[in-house]
Amino acid sequence: MTGDPDGGGRALTAVEGGRLRVRLLAAIFALAFLSVGIRLVDMVSDATPVRSAASGDEAARAARVPARAEIRDRNGILLATNVQVLSLTADPSELPDPDAAAELLAARLAGVEAAELKRRFTVGRRFAWVKRELTPAEQRAVLELGLPGLDFRISQRRLYPQRRLASHVLGFTGVDNQGLAGIELAMDRRLRETPEPLVTSLDIRVQEVVRETLLRAYRRFRAIGACAIVLDARSGELLSLVSLPDFDPNAYERARPAERENRCTGGVYELGSLFKVITAAMALESGEVGLHDRFNASEPIRIGRNRIGDDHAKARWLTVPEIFAFSSNVGTVQMAFAAGGAASQQAFLERLGMTRPLEIELVQRGRPLVPRRWIDIVSATVSFGHGIAVTPLHFAAAVAGLSTDGRRVAPTLLRRDGPPKEPRVRLVSERTVRDLRWLMWLVVEKGTGTKARLPAYLIGGKTGTADKPGKGRRGYDGEAVIASFVGVFPIEDPRYVVLVTLDDPEGDEGTFGFRYGGWTAAPVVATIVDRIGPLLGVAPSDPGARQRFFARLKIVPAMNGRTGEMEEGLAALDAGW
Amino acid sequence: MRGRLRASELSLEEKFRALHWPFVLLVPMLAMIGYAVLYSAAGGSHEPWAWRHAVRFTAGFFVMLVIALVDIRFWFRWAYVIFAGTLVLLVAVDIAGSFSKGAQRWLNLGFFQLQPSELAKVTLVMALARFLHAARLEDIARPLFLLVPLAMIGLPAALVLLQPDLGTAVMLIAVGGGMLFLGGVRWWKFALAGGLVAAALPVLWANLRDYQRQRVLTFLDPERDPLGAGYHIIQSKIALGSGGMFGRGFLNGTQSQLDFLPEKQTDFAFTLLAEESGFVGAALVLTLYFVIVFLAFLVGMRAQSHFGRLLALGVGLNFSLYVIINVAMIAGLIPVVGVPLPLISYGGTAMMTTLLGFGLLLSVDVHRQMRIPRYPSEL
Repeated sequence: MTGDPDGGGRALTAVEGGRLRVRLLAAIFALAFLSVGIRLVDMVSDATPVRSAASGDEAARAARVPARAEIRDRNGILLATNVQVLSLTADPSELPDPDAAAELLAARLAGVEAAELKRRFTVGRRFAWVKRELTPAEQRAVLELGLPGLDFRISQRRLYPQRRLASHVLGFTGVDNQGLAGIELAMDRRLRETPEPLVTSLDIRVQEVVRETLLRAYRRFRAIGACAIVLDARSGELLSLVSLPDFDPNAYERARPAERENRCTGGVYELGSLFKVITAAMALESGEVGLHDRFNASEPIRIGRNRIGDDHAKARWLTVPEIFAFSSNVGTVQMAFAAGGAASQQAFLERLGMTRPLEIELVQRGRPLVPRRWIDIVSATVSFGHGIAVTPLHFAAAVAGLSTDGRRVAPTLLRRDGPPKEPRVRLVSERTVRDLRWLMWLVVEKGTGTKARLPAYLIGGKTGTADKPGKGRRGYDGEAVIASFVGVFPIEDPRYVVLVTLDDPEGDEGTFGFRYGGWTAAPVVATIVDRIGPLLGVAPSDPGARQRFFARLKIVPAMNGRTGEMEEGLAALDAGW
Repeated sequence: MRGRLRASELSLEEKFRALHWPFVLLVPMLAMIGYAVLYSAAGGSHEPWAWRHAVRFTAGFFVMLVIALVDIRFWFRWAYVIFAGTLVLLVAVDIAGSFSKGAQRWLNLGFFQLQPSELAKVTLVMALARFLHAARLEDIARPLFLLVPLAMIGLPAALVLLQPDLGTAVMLIAVGGGMLFLGGVRWWKFALAGGLVAAALPVLWANLRDYQRQRVLTFLDPERDPLGAGYHIIQSKIALGSGGMFGRGFLNGTQSQLDFLPEKQTDFAFTLLAEESGFVGAALVLTLYFVIVFLAFLVGMRAQSHFGRLLALGVGLNFSLYVIINVAMIAGLIPVVGVPLPLISYGGTAMMTTLLGFGLLLSVDVHRQMRIPRYPSEL
């Protein structure tokens, strides 16, 4: 501290002290720069990269998730496949302000409620669905929000390109792609675990024809429901199964319960006169009843206190062909009793598989309602299809067996290559099969099913018009009916069984107000046969076959006991058989 | 040569030769980077920022060189006057300044929007340098003596705080404090001041504007308001993370190009830079800044006069505070305080202040051998 004029000592000290301080400050600033730099390194290396839906690792992750197997028809046409969709998830713990985020997201995503999102973003949970299946516009809107804590998730969504066409067969899958109905549920494990496409027995061309035709009738007759089945009579493969009303499996959430109901396999119905096919087969097979036999149908039959009559009674003795062709209840009851009654019926129904649920690759499998006590009146009504309820598919399968080789046919929804190998239960003899075919031909040629007649194919069949049980617990309301027709074609060498049932149809001018199966369901079967026959490569019936059927028919004059008028009586000849 | 430099008078050519050319050349490099950043911030367009940035820089660069060649004693003589002028401008802003984003910071001069608070950063350094140059060590040891420089710091800081502009106020106090430290004020006084500030914090808090409180709270927990006050920081973090090591490429930064990033042409320019050029680019720019600061300290160290040393160090201090605060802010280390990145961020006054400071710094270096008497009257 000398008194230097220029403040030398002070300057020196100041310079010395100053230098130290400058260095110190420089060091502090260097440290600051360094720490900022380190922080940058930290942020660059620590921060996860912004995810984009198109980035490679996302796509790879999605690819590793095995896709649910496709479902195809018998010709390889796609019935169910998968598409990739984006879903939005959130990690609420990373969301800076879950409530605000919920509001923002709800404003941009259709069908998302802010309140619901807030609930899902409840603190403490690390995962929440925001919305599944975003549209591209919604994805963009979310990206533009730029919120942290959100993640897009690529997932598979089931797509049914045929839409409603096979809704009841295919069923649908839920949000996590698990089967919830139809073959999707019945074959869920198979579809999940094996990547190869599941090939069904359906022929989508046939399905299209059947659905279109059935839908027209369903609408025309204002039925509350309808079912149509096309069954390969030899292999049991279902070429088509349509239940109306139906739904779009792509939007199954909107399907009402009535639409989801599979009326072909899930619902059991009293099929009425259709069942006379079974009674006739049983009677003919018993050996106690032949085509030449006659039964007294001149007046209603009394069983205990009950009285059974015919709708358009001929009030005379009827031959077995007449009983079948004109669908006489009185005659059929007597045939059933002649064939052994309850014991025979029970055994035969058992053999046909009509007392158990069907084994089919579906979940909706109706359990038949069979009588518990087989008293006489029960036997009587069962013979013409009341007091017993089965699914339409039960019945179609039974007809397939009875009209082909007399062995039981197990229906399936999966394509079978070649005839089934496992031994099949014999139902009836080949002779009974022949007689039954002729009876079914007669129904269409001369009986109640003439509306099913076609120039190209010989069809055999049976009409049915069953009273529906009333709304109450007991009895029939006498109003609603199940109108049905089962057709077999070509009847000279059956290949396919076509069954149509209409639930509670209304007659119209075209049917003169009649609701009978012969007026409403039979033409539907005819149209279906006429269109799918060529599709399936079925050659038109040759004229010789028709003549052989006619050769067995003898038309005799007969007097209607009710009107007193003369009419055609039908009798069977043995010529040529 | 040394003798000539030691002399009071240097020819223009001699001064020109004596310029710190490495420093002079570093400055345009940063400005060019700024040009590219602003070009990208506009989505690949010279308008509205990049072109004006270039024009302003060119003008400012010329002014810087002129200031550098002006005799250091001129600045010494006029330091107080210039400082007083700045205070007048600050008062004018507080009274009649036009409104901008809820804060009165701008003085509309018709052709130019002047931000006196930026100017204050340089003129405060000048005034303090002159004051401390004249002060004896014994004077500085006297607490009462320190009231003068404290007032010199406190007055502009208070005026700026009134605007209100917390960031600039803090910077003024920091720069002023740094200069007092360099000037030899005792350690314990800084400790005392620190204690007083800590004690004053609750009072300060009570007087903060809502948005300022929001910023501080948001800094403490940026994710408490992701779409409001925390938005800047979150988006900035995402951008830095998305840049990675080598960046997303020029004009390809998703955060910045898609407008997630707010104020990308001003306070968050560095974020855009880091996103598009990655860590490598960010580190390079940070290194450039560090080199400039380092050179500024060297200039201060080799200046012979106390005034020159303090002036150069003050400018360097100011400059490095800009950089550190800005980068620390976007890195989420400190609250968002609205401090631009010098020479890169868009903004006329900030660039002008920076270049004026650099001009003074270069002038100090040109005249580094010059001795300056304690008072201008002795010149």
